[in-house]
Amino acid sequence: MTRTTQITIFVVLLALLSLFYQGLWGDPRHIPPVLVDTPAPVFEGPDVESGEPLSSEQYKGKVILVNFWASWCQECKVEHENLLRLYEEFKDHPEFVMLGINYQDEIPKARAYLQRYGSSFPHMQDVKGALAIDFGVYGVPETFVIDRQGIIRHKWIGPIVDNVYTNLTQNVLTPLLSDPTPPRQGSGQTT
Amino acid sequence: MFRLVPILIILCFVFPTAGLAEVVDETEIDQQVREIAKTLRCTVCQTENIWESGAPLAHQMREAVRERVRQGQSAEEIRAYFHSRYGDYIMMEPPKQGVNWLIWVAPFLLLFGGGILLWREVKGWVTRTPAPQPPPALDETSRRRIERELHQDKLE
Repeated sequence: MTRTTQITIFVVLLALLSLFYQGLWGDPRHIPPVLVDTPAPVFEGPDVESGEPLSSEQYKGKVILVNFWASWCQECKVEHENLLRLYEEFKDHPEFVMLGINYQDEIPKARAYLQRYGSSFPHMQDVKGALAIDFGVYGVPETFVIDRQGIIRHKWIGPIVDNVYTNLTQNVLTPLLSDPTPPRQGSGQTT
Repeated sequence: MFRLVPILIILCFVFPTAGLAEVVDETEIDQQVREIAKTLRCTVCQTENIWESGAPLAHQMREAVRERVRQGQSAEEIRAYFHSRYGDYIMMEPPKQGVNWLIWVAPFLLLFGGGILLWREVKGWVTRTPAPQPPPALDETSRRRIERELHQDKLE
């Protein structure tokens, strides 16, 4: 066997092995999200703090930032301050809405978490995690941005910190909020 | 009576799960949930399906499957729903399309390629190895000596 053949075989084997490794043990963070550029799921549920009903219907035609979190999630604590900062930055924009989805949590613990770390935007209960599956959530924290037409434009798995925060605010939210395209009627995906 | 105690202890070690066994009354819905759940991959585990996984997300997914089975959805519809949310990653058997073909074909290609390489290598060894040389002819002195010694052996 020539040296070239040996090297070719080695490279092919290495490429196959890395593909299998990525497929079997790869970080889901690097898997292309299938829901981006598709209609966002329709959702409704009670508010964590007040118990009042919340639904996607009331946010129709707005740019919605949806953040899945839980009181037992350590990375959620890391990003919480940034979420409050982000809301402060965009809250005066008439077309911006931010919604936390409390994922698989005990409501008293979730309320205590919000009291301790601060709460400035509404949070919806998803105790059984059914909505999380509708959104294709792998784990918390996960953040989605839905445009005014009801299409998911961005997904991030992991905490909103450092460059992720900058990218989210400058490259995702700001362009979407300055987009003059009028909202589409009847947007949203039923499940 | 006390003579049975060691036997019972030994039996406990031999059949440790016997004492924990319970009668499982599996309904038709349970059966369908199990069959579908075994084809869906737990997205937060490593190579485990949602039926066998103990992760909370897998538990939720099993419940979502159960809910949809109760609603009368077919196995294909339920799998399509999960596929629409998580993509190919959720399928224990990735769909046979695009780059996924590699997963199905690569093991056979590797086996075939490996077989050819092995055959070529073995053939090369056979070609390169020289045929064994015949032993040198026995000279007359040595032949006589051997005959003489053999003859002596017979006489003894």
